[in-house]
Amino acid sequence: MTVLIWIILAVFAIAALVALVRIVVGPSILDRAVAADVLLTEVMCVLGAEMAINHHTRNLPVLLIIAAVGVFGSISIARFVARKDNSPR
Amino acid sequence: MNLDTVLDTVSLVLLLIGALLCLIASIGLVRLRDVPTRLHAATKPQVLGLILVCLAIALSLRSWPVVAFLVPVVLIQLATAPLSAHMVGRAAYRNGTLDEQSLVADELRDAQETPPASGD
Repeated sequence: MTVLIWIILAVFAIAALVALVRIVVGPSILDRAVAADVLLTEVMCVLGAEMAINHHTRNLPVLLIIAAVGVFGSISIARFVARKDNSPR
Repeated sequence: MNLDTVLDTVSLVLLLIGALLCLIASIGLVRLRDVPTRLHAATKPQVLGLILVCLAIALSLRSWPVVAFLVPVVLIQLATAPLSAHMVGRAAYRNGTLDEQSLVADELRDAQETPPASGD
């Protein structure tokens, strides 16, 4: 049981680190927007996992608000990104 | 081995599968080539992982109000993930950040070349 919880936490940590690598490296701003979206959904998954492991319901409103508001980040980046950015791909 | 232990174990296994799907999305984000392919890796496993995590929460807490709270979370995520993916993909097409050689079909360019109401 405890081993399974540690494996879950390790997998989440590795996933977040790998997404952070793409945010740091990512050549264009759209790559960073996609990676930030992935990282946000991973934050939602971690909040839900913590709630399921510890048997409480305090994170539920946070989950709902992130699900409702999180989409506006990448939409506004995609809306206002320049037609041509100069960074080489 | 009563019912509570079984349900808790099932919820932990669902959490593990959800975490692995998050990991798959991140690996695809790093391994793939340009913005549309990374978008392909980013949107689909993420939503499935979130659905599995919500199922694990419902199995772990075992109360109907929690389920009623989780249903809109999943529905909002299912509704907004294609929206943002569409916007980012379109911006990537106009930005020139996608690999033109790798496209098999380019229906957006065909639609832009053909004038509307040309009967084609």
